[in-house]
Amino acid sequence: MDFLKRFAKRLGFTLLTILAMSILIFFLVEIMPGDVAQTVLGQSATEESVAALRDRMGLDDPLHERYLRWAGGFIRGDLGESLYMRGVQINTIFWRKVGHSIVLAFTALLFYVPLSILFGVFAGVKEGKTPDAIISFVGLATMALPEFVSGIILITVFAVGLDILPITSVIPIGENLWQNLEILVLPALSITFVMFGYVSRMQRSSMVSVMKADYIRAAILKGMPRRYVIFRHALKNALLPTITIIGMNMGWLFGGLIVVETLFGFPGLGSLTMSAIKTRDIPLIEACVLFITFIFVFSTFITDMLYAFLNPRIRYKRGDV
Amino acid sequence: MNTYLLQLKRSPRAIAGIAILLIWIIAAIAGPSLLPYTYTGMDMDNQMVAPGEAGHLLGTDALGRDVFSRIIYGSRSILTIALLTSLLSSIAGIIIGFTAGYFGGIVDTIFLRIMDILMAIPPLVLAMVVLGILGNSTIVGLTIIVSIAFTPATARVARGALLTCKSNEYVDAARIRGESHLYIMFVEILPNTIGPVIVEITARFAYSIMMIASLGFLGVGLQPPTPDWGMMVIENKSLIRAAPWTVLYPSLAIASLVIAISLFSDFVSKVMINEE
Amino acid sequence: MKKSIMVCAVFLLAAAMVFAGGAQETEEKMTIRVAEQVPNLITPGAWDGQAFSLNGSIYDYLIEMDAETGELVPSLATEWSSPEGKVWTFKLRRGVKFHDGSDFTSADVKFTLERTQDPDLGHLKAQDFENLEKIETPDDHTVVITLKEAAPTFNFIFTDYNMAILSSDYDYASKGESAPMGTGPFKLEQLIPKESALLVKNNEYWDSGLPKADELRIYFVPDIDSSVSLLEAGEVDIVPQISPIIKKRLEGMDGFKVVSPYQESRFIALADDREPFSDNRVRLAFKYTMDPEILAKACQGTLGETIFYNETPIVNALAQYKEIPFRGRDIDKAKELLDEAGYPDGLTVEFFYASDHPYGSDIAQTLKELAAPAGIELDLKGFPRDIYLSQHWMDGPMLLTGWGVRVDPSMLLMLAFHSEGPWNESHIDNPRIDELIESIRGEVDPEVRQTYYDELQEIFHEEGTVINLQVPYLVGVSDAVSDYRQPVTMLPQLEYTTIK
Repeated sequence: MDFLKRFAKRLGFTLLTILAMSILIFFLVEIMPGDVAQTVLGQSATEESVAALRDRMGLDDPLHERYLRWAGGFIRGDLGESLYMRGVQINTIFWRKVGHSIVLAFTALLFYVPLSILFGVFAGVKEGKTPDAIISFVGLATMALPEFVSGIILITVFAVGLDILPITSVIPIGENLWQNLEILVLPALSITFVMFGYVSRMQRSSMVSVMKADYIRAAILKGMPRRYVIFRHALKNALLPTITIIGMNMGWLFGGLIVVETLFGFPGLGSLTMSAIKTRDIPLIEACVLFITFIFVFSTFITDMLYAFLNPRIRYKRGDV
Repeated sequence: MNTYLLQLKRSPRAIAGIAILLIWIIAAIAGPSLLPYTYTGMDMDNQMVAPGEAGHLLGTDALGRDVFSRIIYGSRSILTIALLTSLLSSIAGIIIGFTAGYFGGIVDTIFLRIMDILMAIPPLVLAMVVLGILGNSTIVGLTIIVSIAFTPATARVARGALLTCKSNEYVDAARIRGESHLYIMFVEILPNTIGPVIVEITARFAYSIMMIASLGFLGVGLQPPTPDWGMMVIENKSLIRAAPWTVLYPSLAIASLVIAISLFSDFVSKVMINEE
Repeated sequence: MKKSIMVCAVFLLAAAMVFAGGAQETEEKMTIRVAEQVPNLITPGAWDGQAFSLNGSIYDYLIEMDAETGELVPSLATEWSSPEGKVWTFKLRRGVKFHDGSDFTSADVKFTLERTQDPDLGHLKAQDFENLEKIETPDDHTVVITLKEAAPTFNFIFTDYNMAILSSDYDYASKGESAPMGTGPFKLEQLIPKESALLVKNNEYWDSGLPKADELRIYFVPDIDSSVSLLEAGEVDIVPQISPIIKKRLEGMDGFKVVSPYQESRFIALADDREPFSDNRVRLAFKYTMDPEILAKACQGTLGETIFYNETPIVNALAQYKEIPFRGRDIDKAKELLDEAGYPDGLTVEFFYASDHPYGSDIAQTLKELAAPAGIELDLKGFPRDIYLSQHWMDGPMLLTGWGVRVDPSMLLMLAFHSEGPWNESHIDNPRIDELIESIRGEVDPEVRQTYYDELQEIFHEEGTVINLQVPYLVGVSDAVSDYRQPVTMLPQLEYTTIK
């Protein structure tokens, strides 16, 4: 019952966050200088034609009416029409790119989760010894690199030097992403670089504290094989914080995709956001940013629930998530 | 102070971090006056020469500008903005976080909710959208926007720090003495939470560098010809085969600076946490 | 241990999955693959900066230009005539069909021309067609256009990239750019906005034997550098609008060449209607800081061979060009002029430009460096091209804009240097220049016309508002490409292109 109550509460709050975010994003983008109608028609347009277009687009309506119209569209699944490409519904471009980004994010996940857990556990078990020092330094260094720097290094090595992977991620016409999985490798590795340090450090420290726990010490003292204790008992408990961290970072990862996708020209949500900003395509900017927020809020929510579900002993305390 | 130095002695990583950071700080302050070239000076007879040739230590870019000089000059803007943003966002965070944590109750609840909501939008995305739409960033604009994007996170840290010592005796004592809320918050509590606050500022410093470099890379950072490191990378990306030095060295500059600060902040957090 | 093996296995599996996927080339069709950096802007007239390979392939124009000779050649119009330049009669080609199967008739031409006056659209050619008095269509294959005032070179306007002939049946308001169609050599088969477009041969194309290729694949790759890496990787054959740096890079590699079908202009506009360039002495001072040699090097070219510099709107390559010797860089003279104009301590001026346009950023930074010694501080304001054009162009004290060359320079003069011109970016308002432009447009005798051109260029040299830097338009192609044609109308004629 406790869990259900918590679930409902968190869900309510999650929805509230999305509502608040949608208001914030809408107003943020709308108050920016620059007349939308002027943007559409260009600097050489006459004042009458700008006024006519403003009227047709409903730009002179009060802000709250425009927000309600926009938000209403979103709820019905209508993301509106692109400003830049007239007559093109955002829905027709948006979901394809989102799909690509999700595949990219999960490929990165497939790379970095096993890697960082493995090395994190290893470092945690060897706390204070040379392997630990090396792993933590590598982790710190990779975490410190912005995605584009690790991306440039990867490009230099794999694409320019060895010439085995494509620099630019383009999907040939008539094919889909699944037929071109090699374009995922370098972008996913750039994300792996950053996330590896983060997750392996987390894994290491939780491993260290679990290894110091009484029941683990007792088990080892009782003469159980060390390896058995580590993988049977310690890892199970030490994984929980890591899973939380991975889940919490999903939204952050989607934000980081902007840099990675721009670097590699990957046709995903990140490069779509970038191009929307470059062309000042207001409805498209709003859709992209709201969706990134949405991913963040929901992955936090799901992680939170998963955590509570896996570990029912944890009491929910507000604000301490 | 002595214990810090003692601990520092035992941490070669922290020493390395501080050393690199110091080198960059000295480069930023004194470097430009020692350089033979300015960051915009165009040596048109030597476009894209390799490192070491024609008197250019790290080569030149497509406009014949000295890459080494541009990197040294570039350390100024990135260090200044990063320092300012980490300080500004921490100060704003302390003010907001302390107010919320100190008064508690409804103020705190509202504060927490607002911060949760604001944190739902990744700082990079927020800064990029605002800067992208406003266009044409200045050092001031960039500093303000990045600081705002960071404030929700720093405010949460500050609030957490305050809560740990809010119930201490000296706080109660001050309250009984009839001190004002402001006095209690900033004279009584702040010095006692200085550990986590310093940890946060140093960590934030590293984030700021990454963020500013990324914004420069995305083309919404400073304007050329200001030698912004992230911008240098994207500006010269098409030269990665013909003149790789124009891309690699700015990348390495970013990497070395962020790693140095991370090593330092790692050390700071270890020291501060052990102390408690 | 078991678990760690499992973890490793999962990872290897994932890696194997990722590496396994490889594209397979199966078709024997001749396919042209192009990487365009501009997003897919298609509807002609509505926006500047279309993906020209797409535009030129889907649509036809009334009149085309021969890429070799620069002469006007029939396209959808088979012949045209106008005795006095006031009434123009166009005979249209028979048997031409739109991609949807409907017939091309004079009604479509009428629709296309009238569309330029639609206030909701903000058509880029609106001003050019204000001169229209009436359009008559005596039969399906004749269009008679009556102008308010005579314009002897009116026919040139139909080669403009915004003047693609549109179907009067197509619903532009609701379909917009989602399914564009025309009478051109290729039909749009599939469009993924901001990603790619697949076009197939139009088997009904009126010019039998064309197009030579079966398929045209266009990728929209926002970043020039990524486009070129696709070329290098053999994923595309043609990359238009490359930067001079990339030209150098491709020239150093086997299997690629860089073609330069024509020169285009970069106008540095010094606004006549606001401080500080409203004072001709300041404009002159700025001109005295120029060093064409340095500018040419910044554009990775050679002055007089690939890069040209002058201070009038007429490009060197045109017959109308009048050679005026360069004034020479003279910082002292510049300072003196600034002093006279009331700026003894120098001045700062905002300089707007498109940072992602070829040459843009390099020219801007070089100008700043050149002008600084005289005390003219340029405050660089670079924006992405679309934002520059929609927000800042036409509205700044100093601008850098790319201009295509108009074969008939009077079109450009009317557009950008007449006080009433719709794209008068420097806001020049000189009665004598207006008079000369009008005389040029109304004059039938080419020799008299040239005397007007000569005087105009002299005035521009002394008190003009423009610095005209001419740079090559560059296209990177693989060696497999032959017969890539692109006249100064900027529209590539991919129907002739073949791929080995």
